[in-house]
Amino acid sequence: MTDKPRNQKPTAVFEVLDDSGVGLSDGDALLDGRERRLVEGAANFYALAGPGQTFRLTVLRGPAGTMPALTDEDRTTIEWEDDREVVGSLVVRSLVHTTSDHSPADGLVDIAVDVGGAPQSVTAYHQLTGVLGKARKAVRFLAPVQFDALRQFRTDMVERKGRDIPRKAPVRLTRGAEATPHGDQPAILFGLHWLELGGAERWAVDTIRLAKEAGFTPIVVTDRDSAQEWITRPELDGALVVPLTLPLDPKQESAFLNGLLSMYDVRGIHLHHCTWLYDKLPWIKSIRPDIPVVDSLHVLEWRTGGFVDISVRLSNMIDRHHVISPQLRDYLVGKHGLPAEKVVFATLAGLTTGGIAVGGSDEAESNPFTVSFVGRFTQQKRPYLFLQLAAELKKSSPREVRFIVHGHGELAAEVNSLRARLGDAVELRGADRPVSDTFRDSDVLVISSDNEGLTLTSFEATAAGVPVVSADVGSQSSLIADDLLCPRHPYSFVQAAAARIRTMMTSPDQRKTWLDEQAAKAEAFAKLPRAEDWTRDLYQGWLK
Amino acid sequence: MSTVAAVVVTYNRKDKLTKVLDHVLAQTRRPEWVVIVDNASTDGTDEVLKEYEQIDGVVVVRLKDNTGGAGGFATGMNKSYELGADFIWIMDDDCYANSDALEELLNGHAKAEEAMGMQLPYACSLVKWVDGNICEMNNPGTTWDWGKLIAKGQENVLVTHCSFVSVLFPRWALTKFGLPLTEYFIWFDDQEYTLRITKAGPGVQVLRSVVVHDLGQNRGVNFGDVNASNLWKFEYGARNESSFRLHHENPVSWLKFLARLVQGLRHGNVPWSIRAKLFRKVVEGIAFNPKPKMPRSVL
Repeated sequence: MTDKPRNQKPTAVFEVLDDSGVGLSDGDALLDGRERRLVEGAANFYALAGPGQTFRLTVLRGPAGTMPALTDEDRTTIEWEDDREVVGSLVVRSLVHTTSDHSPADGLVDIAVDVGGAPQSVTAYHQLTGVLGKARKAVRFLAPVQFDALRQFRTDMVERKGRDIPRKAPVRLTRGAEATPHGDQPAILFGLHWLELGGAERWAVDTIRLAKEAGFTPIVVTDRDSAQEWITRPELDGALVVPLTLPLDPKQESAFLNGLLSMYDVRGIHLHHCTWLYDKLPWIKSIRPDIPVVDSLHVLEWRTGGFVDISVRLSNMIDRHHVISPQLRDYLVGKHGLPAEKVVFATLAGLTTGGIAVGGSDEAESNPFTVSFVGRFTQQKRPYLFLQLAAELKKSSPREVRFIVHGHGELAAEVNSLRARLGDAVELRGADRPVSDTFRDSDVLVISSDNEGLTLTSFEATAAGVPVVSADVGSQSSLIADDLLCPRHPYSFVQAAAARIRTMMTSPDQRKTWLDEQAAKAEAFAKLPRAEDWTRDLYQGWLK
Repeated sequence: MSTVAAVVVTYNRKDKLTKVLDHVLAQTRRPEWVVIVDNASTDGTDEVLKEYEQIDGVVVVRLKDNTGGAGGFATGMNKSYELGADFIWIMDDDCYANSDALEELLNGHAKAEEAMGMQLPYACSLVKWVDGNICEMNNPGTTWDWGKLIAKGQENVLVTHCSFVSVLFPRWALTKFGLPLTEYFIWFDDQEYTLRITKAGPGVQVLRSVVVHDLGQNRGVNFGDVNASNLWKFEYGARNESSFRLHHENPVSWLKFLARLVQGLRHGNVPWSIRAKLFRKVVEGIAFNPKPKMPRSVL
């Protein structure tokens, strides 16, 4: 019989004693919803890390583009930079009781919490400093395609060498010595990278929803500096959210986790790309070996392996690795010898295809031929390469052609400037237009990414009846017709993609053959186990 | 349960091919897929394949050009990998497998892994000629401790390399080491590949798994046998082995190969014009160093 909890409202970890400007209790607020949730997240952290203590949070707001600073060890200072305005003051008392108290329970602890400024995304290249960094930045933005060609050669060289990943030795205990009893509210601890738009995040918030549906309280920890624009999403209502900003005071790390484990009955841990939580797994397994740990892996990063290699390193602490693509399954089992029964391949097919009607334009309906890009304007997605392809097609197309670039992101300025060179042939679309409109208007979708797991856009395009020309990266070969997979190197990508699209323009039959192959692959892929079903069953198992 | 894809590479041998396929399809452990790679045959093989294609699990890959045994096996293994097979069992189009050959290969491989306490990258069959004797061309090379598993009561021998006549690869071997070198076209592709994957551990010859290799004559590879009509094959052999010994082993190994070649040609009284052509290929091998392609994970 399952032990389903009666309510999902998280046990409060603090009470508000006074509030000025924040708006956590009634009254006028100077903060917007996102900022308020950030402050609440900071208060969650301090309440959990400081059982029984009283905290006064002075809330600062920085200029646009600055990141929140909520929990790092510098927060205890009572001085701040000139450009920070004070927008709130909040006194809270921790309702957490544990035996772990690294500081006295009485007295008032002052914390200066910075919610940052209005979100403004910039690339890592924009943030380069020093002479070499500035030179690199200049080359990157002056000659993006040429710079990309060099990056790809570097990738080839590093990947050829391969990587040996040392393994963290296992925890041999089956029971940790008990210091504190735990709460009785069943919860799942989620570790996320950040709360921003992304494929991994989309799946992460879905699992948070599934946890709530199963009756768990989701505890959501993030570890990456971010404006956390998704912190106001409805999936997070009822969750205990803690957006960490690092580095934490080392003493607070165990205190925070002890606070969590004592306030809630944590039945499982689900990681979605969270380095901080990965690094804490050996300790968590030492004190609570009974808590099962799973992680979801999406993309194998070039040159470093990214979270996948971190997961391999910590595999002895992880009970199940969930992967969304056959490439990752083969990487974990075949390349790194993880036991096959520990690796679960369950797909995200259909995660975002609801509401997309089969459309896809064809020759009769669409003249000119429409070539589209749908995705974030980030280095990984290489929108500049799509625009290079657009320039090539504009020059050599056998019929009239137009382009749609649908998205937004940190490379928006570059996209705008490159688009200006192509004139009216390129239409820019933003978040105000639904993606389904773009699929309806498209004859072909191009995925120019430097790297991918398995793009959700490919599923969407297939649902809409649009053939996809894609860089042959990640597991794209699971969904894309063989002939439409193009090399990752920028020049050969443009050459191959342009040739395939020109063929589509002149041969509707060939376009249909490729689309049929894509649909057949999607159909075969759709028969594989789905991540949502697997996760739902997993969480049900954690209720018992 | 693990899945198996059998791979048969064929080129203009339709009469033997049907017998080969019938033996594969009649296995006591029937493979989930039978992938047939037609290396652009011109003898009507395609008509035969069209019939087999109706059978559930049979997948035909038609190549536009003859890519040699190396290209055919690389294509078939890649296709099997894309289909999601856990094991890939490959053979030529003149190899008749005993009805339990695959079952014994899988069992032998599993038992050998258990006894060795490690993953083993391949398992090959005992290859007989049509008269029941050992097929000289398909004798695997053994490890120094080849009898280790025999001492444990198994009928399995530890090996360092084998030919592509009934050999079973677990999927992970392809993930880790890639595909055979298509560029070799023919000859030494099997040795190169099995030597390459032996870096992960020895292979195992499962003596209970028996196949018959229907060759014209039962004779191993010997440079003394080269003549004008079979020179093209020996040329590939000379170039490929020269490349392998130099780039994947060391200069001493390359020199030893050269000495063996010289000695073989001398013993066979091979005409100097042919010797010169072979030495040209040996030199070509110095600059010839293809890199393996990795299979794609599709399902």
